[in-house]
Amino acid sequence: MSTPSISAGRNVQIIPIISVLLIGVVWQLLAASGYFGKALPSPVDVVSQFIQMIQEPISGVSLLGHVWASMFRVLSAFFIAVFIGIPLGLFMGWNKKVEAIVRPIFEIFRPIPPIAWIPLAILWFGIEETPKIFICFIGAFVPAVMNAYTGIRFTDPLLIDAARMLGGTRQQQFREVAMPAALPAVFAGLQNGLSLSWMCVLAAELVGAQEGVGYLIIVGMNMSNPSMIISGMLIIGAVGAAIAVGLRFAERRILPWKREIAQ
Amino acid sequence: MAKDECIVECPTGSAEQRFAEGSAGSLIWLSALSLVTFFLFWAAIVHFGLISETLLASPEDVLKTFCSKLNDRAPDGATLGQHFESSLLLALTGYFSAVIIGVPLGLLMGWYRKIDELVRPVFELVRPIPPIAWIPLAILWFGIGLTAKAYIIWLSAFVPSVINSYFGIKLTEPVLINVVRTFGAGKWESFLKVGVPAALPMVFTGLRLSLSSAWMTLVAAELLAATEGLGYMIQMGRTLARPDVIIVGMLTIGFTGALMAFVLEKLESKLAPWRKQ
Repeated sequence: MSTPSISAGRNVQIIPIISVLLIGVVWQLLAASGYFGKALPSPVDVVSQFIQMIQEPISGVSLLGHVWASMFRVLSAFFIAVFIGIPLGLFMGWNKKVEAIVRPIFEIFRPIPPIAWIPLAILWFGIEETPKIFICFIGAFVPAVMNAYTGIRFTDPLLIDAARMLGGTRQQQFREVAMPAALPAVFAGLQNGLSLSWMCVLAAELVGAQEGVGYLIIVGMNMSNPSMIISGMLIIGAVGAAIAVGLRFAERRILPWKREIAQ
Repeated sequence: MAKDECIVECPTGSAEQRFAEGSAGSLIWLSALSLVTFFLFWAAIVHFGLISETLLASPEDVLKTFCSKLNDRAPDGATLGQHFESSLLLALTGYFSAVIIGVPLGLLMGWYRKIDELVRPVFELVRPIPPIAWIPLAILWFGIGLTAKAYIIWLSAFVPSVINSYFGIKLTEPVLINVVRTFGAGKWESFLKVGVPAALPMVFTGLRLSLSSAWMTLVAAELLAATEGLGYMIQMGRTLARPDVIIVGMLTIGFTGALMAFVLEKLESKLAPWRKQ
């Protein structure tokens, strides 16, 4: 999925630069005017706070340590969700009986936002690592199941018929036709799941944590230090964007045939 | 990323239709059996003490709490209806104000190159930051009142409605645009008569994504800073170790979200019947 427009106007690249500069200048002026007081730090303040955060550990953990703490939660939840969710979704899409059994239960849980599980997760697992991983797991699990399921259901019936006509067993039809056909959708599910997980870890950490990026911005709030919050937000955004870019890169390597299918 | 979300989002509806067609006869019984087993299993593990009642409430307790919460203020200070009303009001305020600004902005960005170049860089800077990450800053700026929450919900609904409107109009068939141009329409007229209708299916996808994003963000905001609302109710349920209250709240949240998505889907098939499957 390449975005169609980004490189459209290579000859007129001035406006975007002006736009970003303008925002920076307006922000700086607003902050310097002192009208908002301490609530709005200037960009310069944010940068210097950011440098300070790189140099000095916050609550005994370095900046990278906080990012890693969050990443660790997301990744462990993500892999569990993938290992359970994708096979479940694939079987649900392939086998009508499995679908009839699993789907009604799944449909009860699906509309509940993962974040709404936080209180129950804390009640069940305390405030250590487990509840956070559990929340991220739910965040990644639902899209993983849904997309694997949809992917299989939307396999071109013609392809399956062709495989059957050529003597493929039911299992071969599944492994060699339906699964590769579903992979692009599965991958989209992984992307959604991972970014949703990243959001969930944040929410879980805001509610209660000792380390992690969510904790970072909560500390900023408790110390009434907006430049620390904004630095934290920028780090969160950068990590989220890096995750998305990394997955898109992986997709291009693993699924070179996706582009033809999607278009 | 936005386009991926859409491409996956769109077929889901028709998958459900297919499912409905295919699940005749014995499969319905299988589904019913599965649901009954699920609830029996749930009731059993609570009744036989496999899981303590302070951790999980049995299904009939949940039902009982649901009925009593309809007009009982205990234990968290407001009835279910009051929590529901305050959450819904907040979510819809943020949602509608986001849609009213976001959809036209996305459409204009997609149609006019100049607006695109002006707005997009700023938008791309803000976009990767999850709305939840704004919560501490919003609390610091606006306190824990209505404004902070409305702002965060606004943000969460704003981003998907801009992105989907943007891509929707970008993907307008060039032939259609050329046809109205040939018939002498100006840029603005072709925008109104061709661009907007062509983008409408994607706009609706955006509206759906915005709504679920807004609803989820609402819960997060209410968990952290609220004195009423469904999110506050489940948070209080945790503080008081009342799993029945939490589960009633979670089910209300889930059901309301599903209901709103359903209404939007009905609205879409009324307003944009030309949407392709």
